[in-house]
Amino acid sequence: MAIAKAERLMNLALCLLGTRRPLSKRELRDSIEAYVEAFGPGNGAGGNDDSFNRMFERDKDDLRELGLVIETVESLDGEVGYLARRDSNRLPPITLDAEEAAALGLAAKVWQQARLAGAASGALQKLRAAGLPEDVDPYGSHGALEPRIPVHEAAFEPLMLACRDRRPVVFDYRKATAAHPEQRHVEPWALECWRGHWYLAGWDRDRGAERVFRLSRITGKVRSRGGRYTADVPDVVTVRETVASWAGEITDRSARIRLRSDAGYPLRAKATSVRELGDGWDELEIPYGHGLDAWLVEFGPDVVVLEPAELRADVVDRLRAVAKG
Amino acid sequence: MAGKPVRPVNAIDQTRRMLSLVTYLRERPGARVEDVARAFGITEDELVSDLDVLPMCGTSFRGGDLLDIDTDGERIWWHNPAALAAEAAEPLRLAADEATALLVAARAVATLPGLRESDRQALLRATAKVEAAAGEAAGASSRLSVTFESEGGVFADVDRAIAERRRLWIRYYSPARDEVTEREIDPIRLVSVGHTYVEAWCRRSEARRTFRLDRVAEIKILDEPSAPPEIELRDLSEALVQPAAEDPEVVVEVGPGGRWVAEYYPHDSADELPDGGLRITLRTPEPASLRRLALRLGRDGRIVSPSELADSARKAAREALAAYDGIEALAAADVVEAAEARGPQAVADGPDGRGA
Repeated sequence: MAIAKAERLMNLALCLLGTRRPLSKRELRDSIEAYVEAFGPGNGAGGNDDSFNRMFERDKDDLRELGLVIETVESLDGEVGYLARRDSNRLPPITLDAEEAAALGLAAKVWQQARLAGAASGALQKLRAAGLPEDVDPYGSHGALEPRIPVHEAAFEPLMLACRDRRPVVFDYRKATAAHPEQRHVEPWALECWRGHWYLAGWDRDRGAERVFRLSRITGKVRSRGGRYTADVPDVVTVRETVASWAGEITDRSARIRLRSDAGYPLRAKATSVRELGDGWDELEIPYGHGLDAWLVEFGPDVVVLEPAELRADVVDRLRAVAKG
Repeated sequence: MAGKPVRPVNAIDQTRRMLSLVTYLRERPGARVEDVARAFGITEDELVSDLDVLPMCGTSFRGGDLLDIDTDGERIWWHNPAALAAEAAEPLRLAADEATALLVAARAVATLPGLRESDRQALLRATAKVEAAAGEAAGASSRLSVTFESEGGVFADVDRAIAERRRLWIRYYSPARDEVTEREIDPIRLVSVGHTYVEAWCRRSEARRTFRLDRVAEIKILDEPSAPPEIELRDLSEALVQPAAEDPEVVVEVGPGGRWVAEYYPHDSADELPDGGLRITLRTPEPASLRRLALRLGRDGRIVSPSELADSARKAAREALAAYDGIEALAAADVVEAAEARGPQAVADGPDGRGA
């Protein structure tokens, strides 16, 4: 049976961390059983050098993904050596009290996306190894609180990496009311999760403007593109304000409606004023943002729009469409 | 921890964990398997599988200095800690993804309205320390952010009731029936997934129920003790409300403007239609609740079956329209007036669809 990848990576990491001088590729190949077993000794006789080199490069990339800083050093006689220096790999001193440790223990459980859940646990384990207090049950005071960050969108991981590495991407995107998706070229800036849904903010190269995309509307694969960003990345990216305005939550207009007395609690909760009319109806003043017409229609005969006329026309129009159904 | 998903073995996660494990074990000869597994947030089986790999690891295979680590199932012994030079056993700096994952989650939890102030302060202090220790690796964490929503006052009351094991009285809004009902509940836990919910034992229905905090119209902590029956907590990696197999089926056809339905409603199938719309099949314990959906969709979609449901939406729309008859003449006058006031713009060019 082939030696497990984790064992191979672990040995490579320990060799690189444990050495004081750069180790050549051949020394590493001869020192690590998994390489010897798969490719034979590195005496130049075998024809496996290319496959060894590919695996060795991938393994170094994997260790870098774990945070290991691996240096490549060329000696005077031209031989390349590798090492992970103590100074660049040591966690700076960090002292956390029991409450802070419990808070991080809670935070480390929040991700429901495999890659970030693994990374969060890994961070906590590194801190644990560095002496993070554990005499209290890390979840003790929060036993009954379970925050979860949901990630259902397939586009999340490639976009997260693209934001991290500042890589342009291309994907097919279907707008809310469009029949068919359209290809978009985007320089991704940031991802934000609001009300359980993920959004991407970035520079839309096709539109030549900043845009916010909802990840669930990305169809197919997210592909990386080479090259640099062409637009400056703003210091502060505001996704939520844009999305909140789509959701009709940002507005300075208001509407007046009549609402049956026992109905429409959420409308009452949003109302700026409620007046009892005494005939089984109340009159409410509510903020008039995007999508209010669709929401009011949900309440059927329990809501009557008084003004503005524009909103009333929209609501009547929608009701007619349903009545004809 | 109840509801913890079983993780597949991932070589990167395991390597990361073993690197921290050697640092940790070096300082703690004879550490207990149970304690180490808890400190690392893993199962004892996961720990034992790491302990099977570690004796195959060392700084040089040829040199024979493999790590001599073994366990009797209860304690872990490392017989040659000197096999690992001190520098290979120091705690490692955080990788960019590690710093991002932990910092984004900690900042997100700190945004929860209603969180105890001492907990929020602890999160903020810990976040600042981790940022400092992570250095450059913390930089990319600003590219991800998460906001949890909750009604702060309701959250604080539920949190207190759980801590003091007391029953709650609530007035709760049910969108399915558009009504507010009173009930007594024994709270079990608070769950935030975008919105915040309380999972509780409902004394009125004698069943487990999940209540969204922004639908709690009123709340009181009662003097009576809370006594929820022992129930198995569900895995939260799936949607909070899962339709049951025996629930009645509803078929909805939507045009392109109604595709959001597939994003908001758990469904069995969503088949593409030639016009860019979808035919969605879903199940719900209360099909009548979908009358609201049919009304909302307007010309963007319709209920195909059951037909009684489609009829009830039509009937509701007709009733609603009747209320406008009386003010129709007035409306017409208003529209003309408004149109004149604003110039030649189209009157009915209002916002449409569900943007978010």
